[in-house]
Amino acid sequence: MNFDYLEEQKMLVQSLERTLAKDFDFETYRSLLESKTSHDPKLWGTLTELGIMAMPLPEAAGGFDGNHTDVALISAELGRRLVPEPFVSNVVLAAYIIGETMGDAGLAHLEAIAGGTQKFAAGFYEPGDRYNPLSTNTSAQKTPDGWSLNGHKAVVLGGDTADYYIVSADADGPSLFLVPKDTDGVSVRAYQLLDGRGAADIVLTDVKLPTDALMGDQAKSEDIIIAAVDRGAAALVSDSIGAIEEIIAMTKEYLRTRTQFGRPIGSFQVLAHRMVDVMVEYEQAKSIAMEASVEATNPDATVRMRVISAAKAKVGNVCRSIGQESVQMHGGIGMTDEYALGAYVKRLLVNETLFGDAEHHLERYANL
Amino acid sequence: MDLNLTEAQSAFRDEVRAFLEANLPEDIRETQRSGAHLSEDQYRRWHKILGDKGWSTPLWPREHGGTGWSPVEYAIFDEECHLMGAPRVLPFSVSMLGPVLINFGNDEQRERFLPGIRSGEDWWSQGFSEPGAGSDLANLKTSAVRDGDHYIVNGQKTWTTLGQYGDWIFCLVRTDPSAAKPQTGISFILIDMKSEGVEVRPIITIDGSHEVNEVWFTDVRVPAENLVGQENMGWTYAKFLLQNERIGIAAVGQSKAQLANLKRLAATEKKNGKPLSEDPTFKLKLAEVEIELRALDLTNKRMLVETERGMDPGPVSSMLKIRGSEVAQRLYELKMDAAGLYALPFQPEAAEEGWNGELAGSTAQARSAPHYLNTRKISIYGGSNEIQRSIVSKMMLGF
Repeated sequence: MNFDYLEEQKMLVQSLERTLAKDFDFETYRSLLESKTSHDPKLWGTLTELGIMAMPLPEAAGGFDGNHTDVALISAELGRRLVPEPFVSNVVLAAYIIGETMGDAGLAHLEAIAGGTQKFAAGFYEPGDRYNPLSTNTSAQKTPDGWSLNGHKAVVLGGDTADYYIVSADADGPSLFLVPKDTDGVSVRAYQLLDGRGAADIVLTDVKLPTDALMGDQAKSEDIIIAAVDRGAAALVSDSIGAIEEIIAMTKEYLRTRTQFGRPIGSFQVLAHRMVDVMVEYEQAKSIAMEASVEATNPDATVRMRVISAAKAKVGNVCRSIGQESVQMHGGIGMTDEYALGAYVKRLLVNETLFGDAEHHLERYANL
Repeated sequence: MDLNLTEAQSAFRDEVRAFLEANLPEDIRETQRSGAHLSEDQYRRWHKILGDKGWSTPLWPREHGGTGWSPVEYAIFDEECHLMGAPRVLPFSVSMLGPVLINFGNDEQRERFLPGIRSGEDWWSQGFSEPGAGSDLANLKTSAVRDGDHYIVNGQKTWTTLGQYGDWIFCLVRTDPSAAKPQTGISFILIDMKSEGVEVRPIITIDGSHEVNEVWFTDVRVPAENLVGQENMGWTYAKFLLQNERIGIAAVGQSKAQLANLKRLAATEKKNGKPLSEDPTFKLKLAEVEIELRALDLTNKRMLVETERGMDPGPVSSMLKIRGSEVAQRLYELKMDAAGLYALPFQPEAAEEGWNGELAGSTAQARSAPHYLNTRKISIYGGSNEIQRSIVSKMMLGF
């Protein structure tokens, strides 16, 4: 058994770490939020130059042919620094779906993702159907020249900045369609999530699409959607690990330096023991997140789903408890917007919830 | 044993209900039910309505405007208010300062300040915590130095709830920096917030709301007649006050209202094509917290009955605060979970009273995560749950 990352992976992480430490501190994060955007073209350009977008993409599209452990390492760094950029929606979800469905026709899109020049967002969820990615209230009807789509996609990650949407719609079963943002009838309600990442609700009203907007073989769409969501879930699990490591560092430092009653509060046994419990939970979460990063691309769907659900449920619960415990151990300061802890707690809340919350994945795991 | 309300208590409950039905303004009820922030005007109006009825200071001695209600009657009143969607009257003037003035103030102070507290005309803020004095309150540094017939106050208070609306603030200040124990050099003083040198700065919390503030004092001249009781005796008054703060701390009424909110949301959300309220997993989680609340309600009432017989409420109120805050937080957590994906869009403007713009998701969904985040404070403020546990262990275990 070997839990180590490769040398070149470690180097990638180091350069990403260095770049973010230089270009994206907490104040930069706050000013980005204040300008009500999730996306800074300059930062996006820097990340692209580092090869972050190209890493898991195929060589044919200018990528480095990486795997999901690369994605996990990158995600953890983005979580650690609260980077709101739409990495997961593009590099994890869209790139996978395009690669699986479009063949050579998709190469130009993949090149655009690797080069950071165009953005995509994938929408499966719908209002009133919770965490079911196979929701089929959006319809796709065959027309003489193609398709007509009607429906509503809920909380589409990266939907605020995307040039293209990949949406699921019912055409005798879930099917995938590529929808340019500017198409008539596409209405985008963009917003930021609790932690500053961007998303949107997409309403489709008689959206007319050409025949080739249908992505790939309809019979495979269901499997592809579930696999895409699983990859997204694995990436967010890793993102949480990065954020949790930062929370633990902040909380340890606070326990060490905050004095009350003439001594550091960490010297009170009740707080020391709670901190230890947090660290035990973190180790558990980290282990299962590692397994998720290895199995996220396993072609055996049952194995993959079991591991992803285990990780999403376990890490989700750990996110919740560590978020609560870290605020409690900080006291009032942990409740304030200008202290970084709250932003991390919100990052965890978003990671917990997107692509299925802990309860959803516990139930999926139990029923596999 | 009979756990039902007595006939007299039932009649009292009906009287409270009838009063609320006739006098609670619809806009206030709507704001409260929807979980938006009350406006300053709404707080003030409701306080005045209760004041006019003689119900704004029910626990005070009758001669100062109390109602003579027993603790159980007060609990009934509190619960009915919450269930009907009435806001709680803020505790700072009514539950904290009032009893201190009644017990330790002088006649001039009582005549000057008690009427404004009863009517709600004077909005009082609390100036206790400081950046370096949270759980360790006695470590406070704000100084008051005697200068003729004035004190000169310098320093900073923090976590001042709704201080942006405050007319007055009651503060703990250090008057004897050389006292042998930090507790013995502290005084309790009343400061007009319109005085020169008082500055209120907002603290934005992680839910995006402006509820708490820093209050800065720079050479603020405070008339010496605003000192309450004796100089350097402030700690004694503060301890007395904090005991009063915990009356109603179990928040049973509030949690019952939240439980009803949660059930309303669960009836409209869907899971696997059916209402969330019919989902077995959700039903179990709901039952668990509902049972805990049921036990809390009974524990609270059992303790109140004991209090009526003269039992010291000290450690018991700490227990009620611990479990009451845990139940309340669990309810907000379940509500956020029930809201699903639409808990995630950050739309803090949706929490403002009177806001009716367009939202992603429903209003209840949009407010669920800010509520969850905001209510993490309730196990921190008013003596954190760790401090409450220390109080219980000191009083009941002897260490």
